Amino acid sequence: MDIGELILSTVRMATPILMVALAELYSERAGLVNIGLDGIMAFGALTGFMVSFLSGSPFLGIVAGACGGVLINMIYAYCTISLCAPQIVYGMAINIFAPAVASFIYRVYFGVSSTLAQATLMPTVAIPGLKDIPFLGKLLFDQTPMVYFAYLMVVFTAIFFNRTKAGLNYKSVGEYPKAAETLGINVIRQKYVACIICGALAGIGGAYLTTCYVNTYSDGVVAGRGFIALSAVIFGRWSAGGVLMACLLFGFCDALQLRLQIFNTSTPYQLFQMIPYLFTLAALAVLGIKKSGPASNGKPYMREER
Amino acid sequence: MKKFFALALALAMTVSLAACGGGSTPPASGSGSAGSAAASGGSDKVYKVAMICDSSISDGGWGAACYNAMEAAAADLGWETNYADSVAQSDYANSMTGFCDMGYDMIFLPGNQYSDATVQVAKDYPDIAFAVLNGATTLPTENITSILPDANQIGYMAGALAGLMSKTNVLGFIGGMEIDTTKAKLAGFEKAAKAINPDITVLSAYAGSFNDVAKGMELANGMISQKADVFFGDASAVDSGARQAIDAANGSGEIAIFDIGQPADLVALGQNPCLIGSVVTDNAGMLKLAMQDVEAGTFGGKTIYGSFDNQCLTVGTFNDDLVSADVQTSYMEYINQMAAGTFPG
Repeated sequence: MDIGELILSTVRMATPILMVALAELYSERAGLVNIGLDGIMAFGALTGFMVSFLSGSPFLGIVAGACGGVLINMIYAYCTISLCAPQIVYGMAINIFAPAVASFIYRVYFGVSSTLAQATLMPTVAIPGLKDIPFLGKLLFDQTPMVYFAYLMVVFTAIFFNRTKAGLNYKSVGEYPKAAETLGINVIRQKYVACIICGALAGIGGAYLTTCYVNTYSDGVVAGRGFIALSAVIFGRWSAGGVLMACLLFGFCDALQLRLQIFNTSTPYQLFQMIPYLFTLAALAVLGIKKSGPASNGKPYMREER
Repeated sequence: MKKFFALALALAMTVSLAACGGGSTPPASGSGSAGSAAASGGSDKVYKVAMICDSSISDGGWGAACYNAMEAAAADLGWETNYADSVAQSDYANSMTGFCDMGYDMIFLPGNQYSDATVQVAKDYPDIAFAVLNGATTLPTENITSILPDANQIGYMAGALAGLMSKTNVLGFIGGMEIDTTKAKLAGFEKAAKAINPDITVLSAYAGSFNDVAKGMELANGMISQKADVFFGDASAVDSGARQAIDAANGSGEIAIFDIGQPADLVALGQNPCLIGSVVTDNAGMLKLAMQDVEAGTFGGKTIYGSFDNQCLTVGTFNDDLVSADVQTSYMEYINQMAAGTFPG
């Protein structure tokens, strides 16, 4: 088996999940469980594709994907933060609502036909110097800018949450919002900021699929990646590094199972498709399931409640 | 004030939820009703057909092909049409019942996966015709007909072309799910290719989805690194991902890795440079046979086969730049042998 090809495929498959898992990390660190990631991704994938198709610029597509994601996530934000509505219910509503809107817009614009609209993909940019590292250089440092962005976001997020005052304030909102409020942190504003970051990153994750990965949009292109990202956050123990490892592990297992299928045509393919999920289960069992998420995760915050 | 807002928003959300779930409830208006009413003219009964689809009708693959087939057949015969798409499996029966209650004469179900729900609903509506595309041969009852393109023949037709075109003697097949028709296509593909060139090996894999375009791309990449040079697929939108990977592997140089399309004439549509030909399934032709049965009152109790013989399977346009005239000639000889029943033996 070609190891280089396998690593390349792992990076490709892990990147969109990583982007969206980071989105969820920012949301949950502010105490907001957002299970609507799949929906936000679907909408981001559509807006990203449309803008990239119409303007010819995948970069504009990414920006549009981010804006689309924020727009959709504001519905969730208003309902759960200002109205203190149940987060799971509204996350689910987004999952049903956003893909349907995306598919509606696509159909109105492109109609129903057997030909697929194809957009240009974002070109890869090699990093001078690093790309000359033998073997790994070509694999890791000759990617689209969005891949670098995702990995830089991991580093930034790790530093932000652990080494900066703003990051600690941010985390306190997810841990004990009442105490945070008494210290002069504007909890409501912080939660809205979290939703904007979450919507933008999840939208970019969706747009990555249609501007950097495949050059077409079809309904269901997200294919459950939002839910995998959701579990990657839990699996990664709510830390940026952990999330990265979880996404890479899942991406690697998925890339591996696709290749194993090709080599063993006689083995039922369903067995191989279980591999990523089996690995996740095994890793969870080994790492233990002690509670380590934000203490007020998922709880609505009412300022005047005693 | 805040309470009122909460209430209003909750209400709006409920409504939108209901509307979304409403993929399963049929939309109120049919398309093309004015035209077809005029076409059938006078006091003649205007027949109505509705389609239930689990994927989207704009997926550029199976869903779109079936929807267009229904539209084409209905336009020919002057029927009214309607559809419900992105219907979840749990809603198949509800959705069908909805159309039955609205007085549709025929329900078109584009796939074997609707069989159970169809049997369940068809019992309660003996006067309504149910046509299941790719339905099992054991399925038909008094008001259920199976419409079956001959999956073996589709496999043979693609396999013969692949066998003639492969230089590396490795072929790739990407399926969506391991369903009966896909298995038959794979078996036929392999058999025909090996009948032409015994040295050929066929790599096959399943994406586990008909929508996950990225998986098609990854699978094709994996097969290309195993030297596969002619591809055939049976996985709707996933196929387009495979073609993207093939085009990328060919790069700007000579096109050395090929793809065979289905079920539409994809070369004529000019979608991907790697396409060398297509196996075209005329779903409209088969559906029209079923619709004519409804009009004549002879519907039900049989399986309508779409094959090369009744022109429901045809050879699509060749890509003349990639497939030489000699290859085209010998390919057509194999196809004629297939029609005569002597190929692939």
